[in-house]
Amino acid sequence: MPSLPDSDTNTEASEEGHTESGPESRLHNWVVSNTKLRLLIQFVTWVSILTLFTGTVAAGNGMTLSKQPRDTLAVPRWLYLATGGATIGASALLASFVTDRAFIRYLHNWSLPGPTVDDWWTPIRWIGHSLGIVVLGLAVYLGLTGPQLPTASFTILVTFVVVRAGLPMLTYLGGNVWPALNPWRGIVSLLPAGHRTYPKELARWPAVGGLLLLVWIEVIFPVSTIPSILSLAILGYSAVTIAGAVLFGPDAWFENADPLSVLFRFFGAVAPVKRRDGKLTVKLPGSDLTDSDLITDTSDVAFVIALIWELTYSGFITTQTGAATTEALVSLSNIGVGAVQIRAILIYTLLFVSGYVVFFAAYWYAGVLSRRRTGTYITAKRIAFRFAPSLLAIAAGYHLAHYTGLAVSLSPALGMAILSPLSPPANPLTLSPPGWFEGLSIAYVLIGHLLAIWAAHATAYELFSSRLVAIRSQYPFIVVMIGYTVISLWILSLPGATPPYLP
Amino acid sequence: MSYEGTTVPRRDSPAGECDYCGHPFPTTDRLVLHKGLEHPQELDDDEEDAFLSVRADEEDELRTLRLKALGALVLLYFGFLMLYAIVA
Repeated sequence: MPSLPDSDTNTEASEEGHTESGPESRLHNWVVSNTKLRLLIQFVTWVSILTLFTGTVAAGNGMTLSKQPRDTLAVPRWLYLATGGATIGASALLASFVTDRAFIRYLHNWSLPGPTVDDWWTPIRWIGHSLGIVVLGLAVYLGLTGPQLPTASFTILVTFVVVRAGLPMLTYLGGNVWPALNPWRGIVSLLPAGHRTYPKELARWPAVGGLLLLVWIEVIFPVSTIPSILSLAILGYSAVTIAGAVLFGPDAWFENADPLSVLFRFFGAVAPVKRRDGKLTVKLPGSDLTDSDLITDTSDVAFVIALIWELTYSGFITTQTGAATTEALVSLSNIGVGAVQIRAILIYTLLFVSGYVVFFAAYWYAGVLSRRRTGTYITAKRIAFRFAPSLLAIAAGYHLAHYTGLAVSLSPALGMAILSPLSPPANPLTLSPPGWFEGLSIAYVLIGHLLAIWAAHATAYELFSSRLVAIRSQYPFIVVMIGYTVISLWILSLPGATPPYLP
Repeated sequence: MSYEGTTVPRRDSPAGECDYCGHPFPTTDRLVLHKGLEHPQELDDDEEDAFLSVRADEEDELRTLRLKALGALVLLYFGFLMLYAIVA
């Protein structure tokens, strides 16, 4: 059982060692009393209560939303939002009933060993990297020379349906395959690299900046509609990545500075399948979110919040309310200088940055409050680091909610583009997802948050020796999570629109 | 010896530090719980007694907390039941 030793708590191993060590010990009793049977009964009870509770609420919302026009809810919007928020609050209350440390640890250490992959790792990497390089080359070439129609362009379909939508889904629902596919890593492995050591103080800040920049480019430039512009963007990204990886060495670069690799590594922490000690291992989804070595720097927290914020932001600006807000702000900013387009770009950027700062500050303040309320000596920073991985489950839920529709509707077009990349049909088939997909999105958002609530609960138990303190320490984070949920559910309930002023 | 990732506020004086890892704690109860959970093998008989008694107290307090949580859940449930009955 690959238990992850944490500096703060005894692990399963030390506890087992303890039970074996002393008949003289009276501590023995309470450890042994946690038999597997008791664990199983507790597990079944809590899982069924949680699924029953959330199942009904999500289904209720799903039904009300499935009536076609997106803006007519059967219940008032405030009630729908309150129900979503209450679901999170109620599940936090339910989670606080689980006070058995051994049971929590058992769930998080549970694993099924799979086949050994180490012997295959080198050939898999070679094949994966070659495939990645071929696809990258084709994407750049076809974007510049191929049809300039978004739904027929190999470049756009591979970038947005595969890399933006499909691969992250595969990563958090299955396992992280990006290290085996990463074409830039394949290219750099053929070059002499590592001329400088990566400055430790930079940590993951370049990846945070890179992710925010990529999203900003996606919003401001027509990369998702004009293949040749996307090709240029990919070329720029490739140049920066290859230069960085050659300069600092591929390991340091892809571990710290490359936004895509860091994104997939973080999403991979939610996944049930892991590669550990040369073996594929199946764990319960999200059970690694209590790891203390996942988030080790403020930049890691910033990256996780950026994942949540970029999905919230790109959701918001594509709604009618978002479009109206932008238009209002752009007309407000009319002081007689600057073209409308320039001012619009400024407004989009301002919204993007200020919203991100608000999301980040809210989370950080929760850490400060958590320390203050519990009177613990553990620093607010360390509390924030430990609770941050649970937000990854939220980010995964948002991503699934936002991109399932896109992935499904464009999958036939992607198939066509892959089968005949040089001459795809001019008018490919696009599916329109059925109405209940909206309900499904709400369910994804809620499931992501529930997983996060559970991960936060388990983390608190690892972090604090007193269980009362552990429960109280979660309150500020739960409030922040309720806030994120309500905002996300609100965005999902708004009618869609094309963002104004953008090319 | 200071424990990584902890700071003691200036006007606060810790109730004690863990003898084994140096982690400071604001109350004796938390220190005793920490010792029992993190260093179970190192404890002497007195410390074990203290741990078991603090743990029993904690169990009582948790029971109260659970009752409060149950109350909150019931309120939440019926509150929403009423809301849905009136509004929808």
